[in-house]
This record gives sequence, structure tokens and C-alpha cells, in this order.
Amino acid sequence: MSINNPDSDIIQLLKTDVNKGFRLVVEKYSKRLYWHIRRLVILHEDADDALQNTFINAWKNIGEFRNESALYTWLYAIATNEALALINKRKRNSSVSFDDIGSYLANSIEGSTWFDGDEAQVKLRNAILKLPEKQRIVFNLKYFDEMKYEDMSKALKTSEGALKASYHHAVKKIENFLSGN
Amino acid sequence: MKTLNEIPRENPFKVPENYFEEVNRRIIASTAGSENKVVKTGLYRRLRPYLLAAASVALLAVLSYTAAKIFIPGTKKPGIPELSIEEFSSSYIDDIDIRTLEDNTDPVALSDEIPAISKSEIIDYLLLENIDFNDIYELL
Repeated sequence: MSINNPDSDIIQLLKTDVNKGFRLVVEKYSKRLYWHIRRLVILHEDADDALQNTFINAWKNIGEFRNESALYTWLYAIATNEALALINKRKRNSSVSFDDIGSYLANSIEGSTWFDGDEAQVKLRNAILKLPEKQRIVFNLKYFDEMKYEDMSKALKTSEGALKASYHHAVKKIENFLSGN
Repeated sequence: MKTLNEIPRENPFKVPENYFEEVNRRIIASTAGSENKVVKTGLYRRLRPYLLAAASVALLAVLSYTAAKIFIPGTKKPGIPELSIEEFSSSYIDDIDIRTLEDNTDPVALSDEIPAISKSEIIDYLLLENIDFNDIYELL
């Protein structure tokens, strides 16, 4: 079996050989989850921490994973929570106020070794960081991961209608920011 | 400045070389690669299918019993004669005519006038109803 196998096959393998099945889960999803986390926390080092915590959390709870949700929406939910936990920890440990965390992260972009974008990319990332946390997550999942609203609803435990409205408003805010309004 | 649609959806973030191979190794070493995990399933989860089946049977039994009580007629109670509509009509209504009714009814009950009530009757009523008639004495 390989990482190209559908999730249903991996879930079956998890039931018969959990160690082998989980190794496949890591190989299949680590990159996707890393980039989702990285877009939220910005710094590579923070994303690295959150990614490992995500899989440790998933491993601890693999026996409780129920087939009602897809494997990847379950993993995305854990990854999102780990990213938010890291951001909140950053807020508590630094002198940065809760309102300025977006600016703080934006500064991290420009000072980071691991960012290689042009001026437009910097401005786009700064615009995204101006969004409220939950709206930022919705925008990233839709715009960059092209996740379906149905799957996003399961991962974020929010109605599809609310997610669509949130994405629509996020796009408007970003466009206003980019046009200098 | 470019609009959102004009900015390519490229990934400007970078990672160290061979990062993903390295992080996968670290993750597996601290999870699935460390020891053989025994997936423990709690007693409740193992018994759940049987509990659900038992609950369904119990619910069906209760519903069946309730439905039987409602829809299946019970035994007749003694002492209450059963009369058909025809028997009832012939026994009672034919014996009643409007003149008999008028003769036996207090004329006041048939009148449109409000009957006079004495003050003492009012006070008796208020006392019975536990109303302090001193509060309304002057009205009387």
C-alpha cells in the first residue's frame, strides 16, 4: 500500500496494523498539514513544532477516530487547533498585545529567512494577517488549499453558510487592503 | 498595486532542504515507529452494539404494550347500561317537551333581567371567598 491509496484503505490498515497505517498517514499528510499550519503561524520553526504536535495528538487519539468524518478533515481540525494554540502561546509569552498579533506575525514575514516572495506577496500575506483568526483560517483553506465547504464545515465545525459568508467578506477585506483603502 | 486575482497563488514560504523527509522520520520515531501500539477500545465501545440492540427491543416492547392498551378495547365495566342511540332517544327525549321544561324552570332563569341580590347575600359571598368586606363596605 502507498500514500496514493484512498483514505478508506488507510483506515482499514489502521484497524489491522495501526503502526503501519499511521506511518502512511504521516507520509501522505505531513506536507499538506505543514503548509496549512505555516500559513497561520508564519515562522517555519513554529510550524515545525505545531506539525509534530499535530501528529502526536493524532497518534494518541487514533483509537478514537470515528469513520463519520474523513481522515483528512479530522487531521486538519487537529492541525488548526495546534496552530491556534501556538499563536495564543506566542501572545502570552511576548509583550505583544492581542490586537497586534497580526502585525507581529507580519513583521515575522519580512524578517524570516524562509520567506522568498515579492512585494505583492508580502502585501497579500499582510492583508491576510489583518483578518480575524477564524476568517483567516477559512480564507487560507479555500484560497490556497481549495478545500470544499462541505469538508471545511466538518473540520471547523461551522455551517457551510457561515463559511461562505466568511470567505466572501475576507476576499472583500483583502481586496480593499490591496487597493489601499 | 495588484488585485487579488492578479497575484499568483505561489507559495513564497520556504523550508530547509530535505525538511519533509527529516520531519517524517522524527514524527514516526516518536509515534508509530517507537513501539507497537495496542489500540485500546473501551468497554462501552465494545458493548455499544449489544446495548443498542437491547434498547431497541425494549422500546419496541413498550410501544407495543402502549398501543395494545389504547387500541384494543378492555372488558366492560359493570353497572353502566349500554344504550344505543335509538334507545336513548326514545327513553329520554320523547318524554321531554318544551312545555314541561318551561313549567319546571324558575322564571328568573328564563328572564333577561338581572336578578336582585341582597347585601347580606353579597357579604356572605365575600366572606366565603375570604375577601375583606371592610375594604368594600362603603361600596355596599
